[in-house]
Amino acid sequence: MKKNILIPLLLMLAIGIVLSGCATTQSQADKPKPYRMTPQGTVIWEDEFEFLPPPPDWKLLRVEEQGDINFGFMRNDPGGFPSVTTFAYDEEPFGCTTRFEDREKEFFKRFLFNAIVQFQVLEKKPVQVAGGEGLAVTVEGKDPVKREKVRAKVVFGKRGDRVVGWYITQWRPMDAAYDLSVFEIFDKFVNSFKFLKPSFYQTL
Amino acid sequence: MEGHQRNLYLYDRFNARVLGVSRDDTLTLKYWGQGLDLTFPLLSNITGFLGAYFGTLKDNQFVFARRTVVIDKTGVIRYARDGSPDFKDILLFLKKLNQEGGKS
Repeated sequence: MKKNILIPLLLMLAIGIVLSGCATTQSQADKPKPYRMTPQGTVIWEDEFEFLPPPPDWKLLRVEEQGDINFGFMRNDPGGFPSVTTFAYDEEPFGCTTRFEDREKEFFKRFLFNAIVQFQVLEKKPVQVAGGEGLAVTVEGKDPVKREKVRAKVVFGKRGDRVVGWYITQWRPMDAAYDLSVFEIFDKFVNSFKFLKPSFYQTL
Repeated sequence: MEGHQRNLYLYDRFNARVLGVSRDDTLTLKYWGQGLDLTFPLLSNITGFLGAYFGTLKDNQFVFARRTVVIDKTGVIRYARDGSPDFKDILLFLKKLNQEGGKS
């Protein structure tokens, strides 16, 4: 049978070429909490995810971009500027491809692009995450001009056909030591992460 | 644009194709597209007639205002939204349009 082909065209008339969809933060004052706690100590986020949260001294971060879900946590660490640790779940990490190795390359082209640091891969290994295969990449970047450094771990996983990401960044002055125990909190967050229902894209 | 690239497999599913248009020259678009690993066509429309046609030349600005337009197979504009693309809204619309096309 001849397939009835519908070929709509999407035309995107861009403002120049430099606007690439920057995330914007929104006031949460008038919104109900998107999460609830379970008796087991895990968080149910918008009935869509379940995970083990960090200790209470971490602040919740939430970024909304075109309806996609991105949230995370941050903590100001002891020590001089910029001693801070942030970790997050990202429904749409930088890049497009669904192969982890390629996505990793695309991702690190733009990860922390404002900071202008050169990343060195410290470790890269396959992992199990959210019930499927994943890739964990640990990197360190240094800014010799500002005398700052950052250690980051990025875990790529799959939700349906699409790649999702979890990442932690820990910034320090160049001569300060990292607090690697915080990465264990992040690992618990990632390892506890469950998808409670199919994503929007899986329902299409 | 990166969001459209991520959604190409879904656009295929709904028999849709995506094009980007700006007033930049072809060389600029080539390197910009490579930077974002885009595989769909980017059209250079330096003279801006497409912007006039789609109503995206605002306040005598040289650059196009951002707009997403869906054109069906008969050439009729079926969807037009200003601002950053709402990918979920676009996908739901394309799904509906594809279902309509399948019935006719």
